[in-house]
Amino acid sequence: MNAAVAQSPIVSITNVTKDYTLGKVVVPALRGVDLQVHPGEFISIAGPSGSGKTTLLNLIGCVDTATSGVVSVAGQDTKQLTERQLTHLRLHTIGFIFQSFNLVSVLSVFQNVEFPLLLQRKLDKNQRRERVNQLLEQVGLAHHAKHRPNELSGGQRQRVAVARALVTRPQLVLADEPTANLDSVTGQHIIDLMKELNQKEGTTFIFSTHDAKVMSHANAVVRLADGKFLDRLSPSEAKRAMAAGAEGH
Amino acid sequence: MFQLFLIAFRNLGTHRRRTVLLGGAIAGVTALLVILMGLSTGMKETMLRSATTLATGHVNVGGFYKVTAGQAAPVVTAYPKILEQVRKAVPELDYAVQRGRGWAKIVSESGSLQVGVGGIDVKDEPGFRQVLQIQEGNLDGLNEQSTVLLFEKQAKRLQVKVGDTVTISAPTMRGTNNTVDVRVAAIATDVGMMSDFNVFVPSGTLRSLYQLRDDTTGALYLYLKDVNQVPHVQARLRTVLADAGHQLMDNDPRAFWMKFEVVNREAWTGQKLDITNWEDELSFITWTLTALNGLTGILIFVLLVIIGVGIMNTLWIAIRERTREIGTLRAIGMQRTRVVVMFLFEAMTLGALGTLAGALIGLAVCLGVDSAHVGVPEAVAMFIMSDRLHLVVNAGSVVGAMVFITTCTTLISLIPSFLAARLKPVTAMHHIG
Repeated sequence: MNAAVAQSPIVSITNVTKDYTLGKVVVPALRGVDLQVHPGEFISIAGPSGSGKTTLLNLIGCVDTATSGVVSVAGQDTKQLTERQLTHLRLHTIGFIFQSFNLVSVLSVFQNVEFPLLLQRKLDKNQRRERVNQLLEQVGLAHHAKHRPNELSGGQRQRVAVARALVTRPQLVLADEPTANLDSVTGQHIIDLMKELNQKEGTTFIFSTHDAKVMSHANAVVRLADGKFLDRLSPSEAKRAMAAGAEGH
Repeated sequence: MFQLFLIAFRNLGTHRRRTVLLGGAIAGVTALLVILMGLSTGMKETMLRSATTLATGHVNVGGFYKVTAGQAAPVVTAYPKILEQVRKAVPELDYAVQRGRGWAKIVSESGSLQVGVGGIDVKDEPGFRQVLQIQEGNLDGLNEQSTVLLFEKQAKRLQVKVGDTVTISAPTMRGTNNTVDVRVAAIATDVGMMSDFNVFVPSGTLRSLYQLRDDTTGALYLYLKDVNQVPHVQARLRTVLADAGHQLMDNDPRAFWMKFEVVNREAWTGQKLDITNWEDELSFITWTLTALNGLTGILIFVLLVIIGVGIMNTLWIAIRERTREIGTLRAIGMQRTRVVVMFLFEAMTLGALGTLAGALIGLAVCLGVDSAHVGVPEAVAMFIMSDRLHLVVNAGSVVGAMVFITTCTTLISLIPSFLAARLKPVTAMHHIG
């Protein structure tokens, strides 16, 4: 058990279920999942399509609510929070990296990254500029600060998204298939960047992926199947398990 | 906030065609509103200038004298004393004149006319020289007794010219008719409806026609430096004159000649003063302004409804197109209220830019039409008391119109903005479209 695990969990999920209603049909997306993530961990959530990865991330990210069970983020039971408090929690505690970047197209790179800081209203203009420039430097986009997202490549856009997710120095960053829309080299760069920030800043990362290569960078791989928690493995165990699974098929 | 404004502003720029179409519609409504207001204000100004010179002061101290309960004469007795009291009480006064009031028949060799006869001291009436365009003769001719000023159309009907003599025949309260022969001293260009039923004679001539004393007149016409002071002056005069021991009639916002029936029914005798303003005396023609304002209101309302539907539709489309963006912004921590504000900014920016453009267009049209001295048909001239279209743009009204339309467009956008803000982040982010 490493030092991070000894602290109280930043994410605690207990017997969580999530059902979606499609017309008259109720589709279970998560069926009694339990998970604990501790500060500083770099966790990958793996599983085939439809296994519930995105749903789980949405619940952890407080952008959706569980049908039953308890989701606790940074010690707060999200079910007990109002919409306003949930938004506050997202703004101050969680950073998001989306599969399709989700940048604001009419704002420049700098303005996109600065945006969460403006919402927080904690820093003055100079402090914000310093923080944003530092992050753009870290993600290698200092020279693209004035560009609009549509003037950047997919990899560059995802790096902007990473900078935006980290600019508020959140305790937790959630990334839903952050490399899915990128080529393997760019995807590798993004994961390296996330890993570097995890090690330097101690930020907790939870990301979903299909890609075994990406998984290999994680401290632990949480596997889901059919909305159920399968196991929590080391990356090498996960790789073996996935290979065995593929052979089994 | 600046960032929200920036997003709104740039989104308008991104969807240029939509912005231009909707902004153009807003500009059109604003321009129309500014032009209609310019027309209304111009008409009001023309009417005010012409009518207040010919038929009423800004504030009038008139009244009725009753020898018996049922016999009212529209006169003010001992007016010099009242005039002195008025001058003391009204520092806003530009000048004051006394005017005789009568109703008589003018008879020439070839025709006759039923008209109102005003008794004036032309040397004390600076406004007359500004408003009237003398076609024939000389206004100073009215300094002589037994003269008359006619208007073009009247002269034509009576088939008289300057120097000719006409007879004025007025019924008295005793049931007989008094007559006086007067010489046409001047013929003035018509000034709309007012010139159809008004002629002017020297005060002395009118007094001799009605056999009135020298200190008796029809009314005191008070002209103020600032016409906006009318309500204050009117209210103050009521108090001051009542305190000075004069009997006052209840406030009745109608022209003096419309009050005979009511006054004759009342039991009192002697002198009662009636303090009115120019709008009261012209109430029978100010309906044209009310009608124009009403029409403007209806037109603007209909156009605003159309614009409102357009704005709402546009915002629906904008929200639909930007659902994922809304989801993302909500996910990264934007509160619902800020989403509302963001869309309100967009509508407000569009409204402000559209109304600014519209106001400039409206302003240009008003100034252009006014300087072009566009003539109007006779029927219209009768109501606006001018043969030319006069448009006056009031800066305050234009700003008011801009603020009003911008506020309307912003308020209209509240519904789609609220709906956008209510979207669940996860639903919005996974929206396809």
